[in-house]
Amino acid sequence: MVSHETRLKRKAFRSANESDALVGLFFIFPFIALWFIWFFVPFLQSFIRSFQSANFIALDQAQFIGLDNYIKILQDKEFYQALLHSVTIVAISVPVITVLALLVAIAVNQNIVAKGVFRTIYVIPYITSPIAATTVFMVLFRKDQMLARFMTIFGFENTTWYSNVNLALLFVIILFIWWQLGFFIIIYLAGLQDIPAELYEAARVDGANAWHRFFNITVPSLKHVTFFVVTVTTIYSFQVYDQVAAISRYGVLGQPAGRTSTLITYFMQHGIRYMEIGYGSAAVVIFTLIILAITYIQKLLLAKEG
Amino acid sequence: MKTGKKNYIVSIILGVFAIAFILPLLYALYTSFLKLSDIDKLVGIKNWTLESYLKFWKDPNYNIPRWFFNTVLMTGITIAGNVVINSMAGYALAKLNFPGKNLVFFIIVATMTIPYQIILIPVYVTMAKLGWLNTVASVTVPYLYQCIFVFMMKQFFSGIPNELLEAARIDGLTKVGVFFRIMLPLSKPGIISMIILNFTSTWNAYLVPSTMLNNKDSYVLIVGLNSVKDQFFDRTNVIMAGVVLITLPVVILFLIFQKQYIEGVATSGLKG
Repeated sequence: MVSHETRLKRKAFRSANESDALVGLFFIFPFIALWFIWFFVPFLQSFIRSFQSANFIALDQAQFIGLDNYIKILQDKEFYQALLHSVTIVAISVPVITVLALLVAIAVNQNIVAKGVFRTIYVIPYITSPIAATTVFMVLFRKDQMLARFMTIFGFENTTWYSNVNLALLFVIILFIWWQLGFFIIIYLAGLQDIPAELYEAARVDGANAWHRFFNITVPSLKHVTFFVVTVTTIYSFQVYDQVAAISRYGVLGQPAGRTSTLITYFMQHGIRYMEIGYGSAAVVIFTLIILAITYIQKLLLAKEG
Repeated sequence: MKTGKKNYIVSIILGVFAIAFILPLLYALYTSFLKLSDIDKLVGIKNWTLESYLKFWKDPNYNIPRWFFNTVLMTGITIAGNVVINSMAGYALAKLNFPGKNLVFFIIVATMTIPYQIILIPVYVTMAKLGWLNTVASVTVPYLYQCIFVFMMKQFFSGIPNELLEAARIDGLTKVGVFFRIMLPLSKPGIISMIILNFTSTWNAYLVPSTMLNNKDSYVLIVGLNSVKDQFFDRTNVIMAGVVLITLPVVILFLIFQKQYIEGVATSGLKG
């Protein structure tokens, strides 16, 4: 027998259930309100402004000028230079980060001494501020300093990297890789833990050597993780900003001589520093479309793979 | 679990790489204790000095204590907002039904796909109109929630069995009560992950603060360091002391909450 009291409580429970919608809306409201005001509205504004000749000083006089901003950007040599630099950062960072992160993760995952300590050390750069890290690297990559001298082993000249027109972009890329690597090591380590140990046992019984195990078990098992790493590194590489800002503090973003300009510095320079709101917005929209295109291609490839 | 002989060769190779990897940070720490005349020399610990730290902290031109305060304020407000708003939203999505739930899911996924830089210029204009530039509001109010964390909290809450909630309801707890008495205490690991991830990214943030904060009194440490470093660049020991002061809080927190941090990155990364 269900007691009277329990029955009453169940009834109360059921009627309380009917107010679910109200409680739900109450809990979701702060998030949606903030999102609407501080994401959705500015998101729309960026699109609208991109079709306007809007300057920060005289925003009231903004006028619709159709695709003029876009046309101007697509005719701007500096835009293509920025695009080329962004693509260069992606082209170098993505393979280097993917391969290094995988190798370090596999090594750390071995039966080694002080495993935890290694994992910690490899993650530490990622938790430091890119501005602080760039500051240190700038000191070390000055002419005659430790890392500038070290790099001569690989045939680079002994020079101050961040103010050298030929090396500044590579300097930014090195810094970005150094900073970002730890994040992807964590991702790969998580992926490695999901590979069933039996696979390796079976392979060992079948007499597969370490090399075979790596290419026939580890790499295929991590296919989806690698896919994620490549996509995310591509997007993050397009978004590199702090390192560039740190080396071009006083002048135009992208110092020296525009050799480290990227899609981000391009819109920051126009939209914020020059206060050309319309033109800058159009540049951001182009940047956003590039990122969305990459995401879309990734989705297509993933769907194809099944 | 693997047992047996440790792989010493891999250990040694990894060790060498690891030292090279954090050498720049060790260099910063070491140099910050040197006198200007000792820079780039190897000197014993008895020649070390805290002069650079005192110089950096006390220099009246830079008002570092103020920047430190601003940074703590920015980080504290952001974290508080994120804990409250993201877990509320996560609870609603995981355990409650309300009209438009699917739309909210769509909003979260779509927002995570779009690079946040797209809102920067309009937000800057809005902040200017509101007169919020150079205030802590300009670097906190738009960032009091994060879609990825709402998602993370939703996952955590979904893992708590419904039977537990029903039992609590029968015992007389309201749905709001369930949130405070059951959901929050049981998802402490998730909340700690969120806090530590949120802390590092906010403390280290540069793009947004450097856009919104343009006068010296409103600077946060990172923006301040970037402005000081060019003037002080020849005084490497002082600038390295600045680097250490900024980096140390994050490193200490990371070392304490490493496990939660790494779990947070792994879950938010792979799910996102």
